[in-house]
Amino acid sequence: MKKNFLVISGPNLNLLGTRKTSIYGEGSLEDIHRSLQQRAEELNVGVECRQFNAEGAIVDCLQEAPGRFDGVIINAGALAHYSYTLRSAIGATLLPCIEVFISNVYAREEEFRHKSVIAPVCVGVISGFGKKSYLLALDALVNLTEV
Amino acid sequence: MEDINAAVAAEAGKLSVTVEFYQSNTEGELVTFIQQCRGRVQGILLNAGAYTHYSVALRDAISAAQVPTVEAHISNIYKREAFRHISVIAPVCIGQICGFGAFSYIVGLRALIEERLDPWLV
Repeated sequence: MKKNFLVISGPNLNLLGTRKTSIYGEGSLEDIHRSLQQRAEELNVGVECRQFNAEGAIVDCLQEAPGRFDGVIINAGALAHYSYTLRSAIGATLLPCIEVFISNVYAREEEFRHKSVIAPVCVGVISGFGKKSYLLALDALVNLTEV
Repeated sequence: MEDINAAVAAEAGKLSVTVEFYQSNTEGELVTFIQQCRGRVQGILLNAGAYTHYSVALRDAISAAQVPTVEAHISNIYKREAFRHISVIAPVCIGQICGFGAFSYIVGLRALIEERLDPWLV
């Protein structure tokens, strides 16, 4: 059966292309979603792309994911660095989850961005490649769930 | 290691690029090799092993080489011992990939090649 993956973007990612473009680039989140749909078609899988500013809404979305999706890609934005709620919700899905970041969070000036509290409950992390981070994560998730 | 190299070489073929492989247990040899990459290669995919977490010499070599470098790890280093959660080379790399086994190298190669085609990146 065709695999189906959930892609979640967290707070402020709806502002992509309008905010701190030197870090996050010029393109919009819609551009990323379009590229993901295209790559998904090439890989013969389905993707559903969602964005939430509210932490609780992400938790709700993750709780509904088991049975509907075969894996999750998450860019939690700033929540990555402190949301133990999100960490628990990811762990509870029992689905393979890949954490992505557009920027290289480890190269950024603010030290609080160097730590992700959700990384330990994810299969792996991809950071620093712009919107390609999402596309590479889809490649990795497909590879992961094929084996 | 040979299996990973073979998979990377196959992927490189698909992407129409050439790759060469280097492995060393010695920090100084890695430093020398990375220095010699300057002006000679278009990108470096680096799994620095445990050196990731403490080799400032390697960090300086990457920085000096001025070659786009992607950091890859087989394991998810953030699930492991606390000292592995810090990468001293990450700030001089384009980005990091970890946790996908041998496939981390494949993702790394794709990232390295496609990165230069991505108009998003400054």
